[in-house]
Amino acid sequence: MKREEIPSHAVELGIKFGATDVAANLIESDQTMIRFSNNEVTASKNFREVTINVFVMIERQRAGFTFSILSSKALERAMKKLVKMAKISPPADVYAPLPKGPFKYDPALLRPPRVSSDSNELVNYVREAIDGASKCGAKRVAGSLTATNASMVLETSSRASAVQRRSSLEMSVRAFVSEIASGHSLSIALSQRDFEPAEAGRRAGEIAKMALNPTEGQPDRYTALLGPMVFAHFVNQVGIQSSAFMVDAGQSFLIDKMDTRVASDKFTLIDDPTLMDTYGVRAFDDEGAPTKRNIIVEKGILKTYLHNSTTAKKIEAETTANAGLIMPTPWNLVVKPGEKSFEEMLSEIDEGIYVTNNWYLRYQNYRKGDFSTIPRDGMFQIKNGQIANPVRDLRISDNMLKIFQNVRELSKERLWIKWWEVPIPTLAPYATVEDLSFTKSTM
Amino acid sequence: MEDLTRLALKTAEELGASYAEARFQSDIRESIVLKNGVPEVSVIEELKGFNVRVVYKKSLGFSSTNIISKRTVKDAARRAVNIAKAATNTIRKGVSMSGEKLGEGKVEIKPRIRFDCIDLDSKIQLLKEADKAAEELANEAKAKLPARMFILDTMKTEKIILNSDGANISSIIPRAALVAFLTAYHPQKGSAQRFFNLGEAAGWEAVEKWNLPKLLGEEAQSLSKTIMEARSPPEGEMDVVLGPEVIGIVCHESCGHPAEADRILGREAAQAGETYLNKDSLGMQVGSNVVNVVDDPTLPSSFGFYLYDEEGVKAGKRVLIKEGVVNEFLHNRETAAVFGVQSNAASRSVAYDREPIVRMANTFLEPGDHSKEELIEGVKHGIYIKNFMEWNIDDRRFHERYVGLEAYRIENGELKERVRNPILEITTVGLWSAMDAVGKDLEFQAAYCGKGDPMQGIPVWTGGPHARLTKIRLGGAKA
Repeated sequence: MKREEIPSHAVELGIKFGATDVAANLIESDQTMIRFSNNEVTASKNFREVTINVFVMIERQRAGFTFSILSSKALERAMKKLVKMAKISPPADVYAPLPKGPFKYDPALLRPPRVSSDSNELVNYVREAIDGASKCGAKRVAGSLTATNASMVLETSSRASAVQRRSSLEMSVRAFVSEIASGHSLSIALSQRDFEPAEAGRRAGEIAKMALNPTEGQPDRYTALLGPMVFAHFVNQVGIQSSAFMVDAGQSFLIDKMDTRVASDKFTLIDDPTLMDTYGVRAFDDEGAPTKRNIIVEKGILKTYLHNSTTAKKIEAETTANAGLIMPTPWNLVVKPGEKSFEEMLSEIDEGIYVTNNWYLRYQNYRKGDFSTIPRDGMFQIKNGQIANPVRDLRISDNMLKIFQNVRELSKERLWIKWWEVPIPTLAPYATVEDLSFTKSTM
Repeated sequence: MEDLTRLALKTAEELGASYAEARFQSDIRESIVLKNGVPEVSVIEELKGFNVRVVYKKSLGFSSTNIISKRTVKDAARRAVNIAKAATNTIRKGVSMSGEKLGEGKVEIKPRIRFDCIDLDSKIQLLKEADKAAEELANEAKAKLPARMFILDTMKTEKIILNSDGANISSIIPRAALVAFLTAYHPQKGSAQRFFNLGEAAGWEAVEKWNLPKLLGEEAQSLSKTIMEARSPPEGEMDVVLGPEVIGIVCHESCGHPAEADRILGREAAQAGETYLNKDSLGMQVGSNVVNVVDDPTLPSSFGFYLYDEEGVKAGKRVLIKEGVVNEFLHNRETAAVFGVQSNAASRSVAYDREPIVRMANTFLEPGDHSKEELIEGVKHGIYIKNFMEWNIDDRRFHERYVGLEAYRIENGELKERVRNPILEITTVGLWSAMDAVGKDLEFQAAYCGKGDPMQGIPVWTGGPHARLTKIRLGGAKA
């Protein structure tokens, strides 16, 4: 049995053993990661994997199996076990058949160009990033470069059938001018043509240089200028919590907010996996439905939750083609740009804080949106429309809905963000947010 | 699989690696999910494969594959060496491994009740029973539980670890784990949420011991009482008694993570960050003399259990803070070589396709001599924070925040009414230095600690007894 035939064989076996619906995909990936710190490579890694995911339904009874076996006999045993597991599973509340194919997918979305996985070439990218930061004065540079070439073969019992190729380059680079003065930047791209490791290094180095000798920040409410990495982190929260599964599980501040204002009218958020030549592009979801552009928030109004067939059926809606067989998920988040430049937005703030990056975002209450997160890397006081001095040791402690409702301005410049803290690729602008609460340690 | 693991190791050595290790790892997980009383899909995940890690001219290379054959494991060895070779020109200091006496043998936890003795329906019925108990007790407290989610995982991890310095370890570890998420709601009083994990390296007997219907009923009842009864916390300077759940996360975040030697060396700088400690911090006073924090992978049935790490080093208790003084860092062989010390077996990896890095196992405050009652009796004006929801810490592990969930005011040594969301926002040294008394009880909680790139969420326990902090200034409650 050829590798690419495994999903269709799994579907046949699933139906033969008694399933009403089967979706099977095989993901074959070749990924190389170069990690570096203190200006040198610390670990070089290559992962080659073939993973098979099969999901079966016997109407309301459902089960899933992830495995890596490749022989015909082993597949038959696995499918028997899986269907048996579904048969003994208690029924769920609804049965939503998989979307009926066959479907036509946009061929341009199915086949992005491959990227090089040549180790020497990748090490050179790392050198470019380190050099870019060092030229700006960075003493130490750390980060990771990831090159991925993968393909996914999908077959469903409802006649969805396709092969999606995926390739990407990701550079995450953090520059240190001192132990407590650092900057972070990224370059993520689908092709070598758009990949800018040196520029990512330069941006990280510039922030680090500006952040030298920070003073302790004072807790207060400020007008905040959030860099694209911070705003993308917050936008990820909206995207992920717009999943109907998260709403149903009580892990969303968007519960009971459909068609109501959840953000200022400056904010429009679209999940667009059909946007050519961007990181999160894909032609179909895990149920085989052709992906589409979904407006999640339009001028501040929540327009849709993200659905797979099952979550959609529960509220008698249509799938948005965001399956996740269990949990719908956003693919490729795009924030509509504003009209002003970063410099114009900065010039309009009399007194405020500019935050370039953050991490460790945790909720006290997902349903309400109360949370805190910690700025890291360069953070700066803004005085009279200019960056004044670097500050440190502040925490953003606020409410996610309030933050989005207090968005006053978005920049026309946007950056693609995806890194350790931001899992969903997001095209994010700078954002001016009024009245943001900053706290700090008391002793 | 041992033959293939040995073939991978031999191939890497023949290709010129100065150090080589090969690991076979199989992780099988069965998950059931109950959301709002309704079963979601049941899932089995079988992840198994090989990895090869090498040092070639001081350059570290790693490769993995889940296609299991002689050809693919030899190819994995070749890829590990080749990718290490490609980076040799960038290496200045590079990587070497500390010399260690390495283990040989087999480690196996035999479950008293095997997971496959419990059918799927029984597992789901148990969660349904717990769900029902939670709803009933919330109703008794006059609140609703509009969102409930429970994920019950049963897992088995098998490893074979061989390296060119003589390690030969195999292990079989079962684990049971529960993730619970509850939302209590009242139209006038608002909502509150509770998230927690349970986990042990054991068979189904662990799940039976947890008594989920009783536990989740009590959790739901307490959560409901919090939204119905809790008032704003007092302000000003006061004493604070922390419960074992809060002490556990404090130990993990502000003692275990800062003591990881790879952070000290900057190896995690771009992701999980660094630490306020440096190579010369051993002997530094960071807390009062009642503070003794340890990390011990060998605790029987602990979620972070192991007896040999991924590099074949025998595990034992690590004393991170002794009487308030930084006493020991967490090392693998790579960091130990840089520091000129022996590894204390902190090298862990979560799957066949993840490199082993420095990790905690079971990190906790060692018990003292006070009962919980004595700790509270010693407080004239203060609060008791039993558990928490929100927390975070900066990437140098110095500025942290814990927001209490179930919490009470203390007046003249007695627990009074519940208080809502008391905020402990404090520095690491400020917190540990304010500790004046430690309880003699000891409890553990399960967690998945995140670190590495790609991310590795690894099973750990966090824990400790009750403990008291003096002269704390709490943050204000949220509106």
